[in-house]
Amino acid sequence: MTTNRAKILVVDDDPDFREAMKAILTAASYGVVTASNVAEGTQAILGERPDLILLDIMMDSLFDGYSLCHAIRTSKEFEGVRHTPVIFVSAVRQIAGSRFGFKGEDQGLTGPEDYIDKPVKPADLLARIERYLKK
Amino acid sequence: MTETNPLVLIIDDEEAMRDSCSQILLKDHYAVETAKDGATGIQLIRALHPALVIVDLKMPGMSGFEVLENLPGLDPHIVAVVITGYATVDSAVEAMKRGAHDFLPKPFTPEALRIIIARGLERRRLILEAEALRKEKQLLEENFITMVSHQLRSPLVAIQQYFEVMLAGLEGATDDRMKEMIRKANERLDSLLRLINEWLDLARIGQGRFVGTFQLLDVRKILNRLVEFLTPSARENNISLEWAGSSGPAVELMGDEQGLEQVFSNLINNALRYNKPRGSVRINLREEANFAVVEVQDTGIGIAPEHLPLIFEQFFRVGRPGDKAPKGSGLGLSIAKKLVEAHHGRIEVRSELGVGTSFIVRLPKAASGGTPA
Repeated sequence: MTTNRAKILVVDDDPDFREAMKAILTAASYGVVTASNVAEGTQAILGERPDLILLDIMMDSLFDGYSLCHAIRTSKEFEGVRHTPVIFVSAVRQIAGSRFGFKGEDQGLTGPEDYIDKPVKPADLLARIERYLKK
Repeated sequence: MTETNPLVLIIDDEEAMRDSCSQILLKDHYAVETAKDGATGIQLIRALHPALVIVDLKMPGMSGFEVLENLPGLDPHIVAVVITGYATVDSAVEAMKRGAHDFLPKPFTPEALRIIIARGLERRRLILEAEALRKEKQLLEENFITMVSHQLRSPLVAIQQYFEVMLAGLEGATDDRMKEMIRKANERLDSLLRLINEWLDLARIGQGRFVGTFQLLDVRKILNRLVEFLTPSARENNISLEWAGSSGPAVELMGDEQGLEQVFSNLINNALRYNKPRGSVRINLREEANFAVVEVQDTGIGIAPEHLPLIFEQFFRVGRPGDKAPKGSGLGLSIAKKLVEAHHGRIEVRSELGVGTSFIVRLPKAASGGTPA
């Protein structure tokens, strides 16, 4: 398995979901790093410097993904990696039937580049990753 | 929850008393501030939020009792200990009645002061701990449904994600027969996910208190977003989705955004589902007096007159011709009706068997700012 392409970080609290995502990303020969919560995610972002982050929203607490995304964009700790593309990967917006558009901006939080619903369609995921890596 | 070097404020008009207490407490690694009268003391409490305050009862100007009475408004979690020069039980009891935690009769030993301060801070720790637990419990209650939903969904979504990997053939070839089975398994999971959502929605609305967030909304915007979202599935089913109101002035009302999205998405989905091949679904938005009126009209199979009174009942389902068994939970319309009613609106249905059905939702508009009510 060559990993001559970009490095993707998957932050999700579900180990099986991480494994499935890893299968999709490695098959497309991306380098994959995983983390299961905000603390591990932070460490991985600073230590591994991924080219793109796939971020779950609800992990240990309700809006972990939002707060991490906001921190990446605004806090001093993440200064050098501020512009890493972030894609939310979550089932949160379907929780009560239909829910569109993330509302993080309404709460003064800085939003991600994009949003994908779980379960993720591999072709859709890879197309979006390509798009944000090119930018 | 334990505060490091908690701040103790001493309010006493006698300089000697302030100094001796300060020395004892500083030696025990407390942070200490002092005030020579009640008014200064209250200013310091407001500015510094001490954990504990020692108040002399008898002071010129504002008395210790008056300071005590001000405390709850300044900081509900502050602990007060009073010093009484005239060591009568009466004044101590009176001070406790007014919210003091403990009292210290003059003269007292350094050891007595230490014990009383330590006890007071222990009480403060318990108060803060209880407060934190109460807040956590409140957060849990407010988000209970969201969290239950998340926990029920997570395993199902993980299963579906593995299926996606298999369907894409990423872990070795999957033959067509296997793919077909995976698709069927996926469909069952989808309907289970929908069922979970509907049950939880019903729990959320059914307890008589709808915990939505009411804010000023534009119905036109909501419908625009929904039509955009549902157009691909209409196209897949060969149904034309017609929405003529995409541009126009805002139609504003006070509502819960998620709740209203759900009402309309439910009606439109039903209209798409119970339609004829090459049929159409027409969505219309108009204003009638103080109401916003949304109509969802289909060219579908219609509802038999004897079924009409029952369609908003929980668990009432009508099968589509050709279905082996009715699909869906039979909760969708009942949820929609409850949501509309939570917005002080009404939902009506008109239908003709074999011709089509139309659902009409009337919601009170927001009082317009320009005209007096």
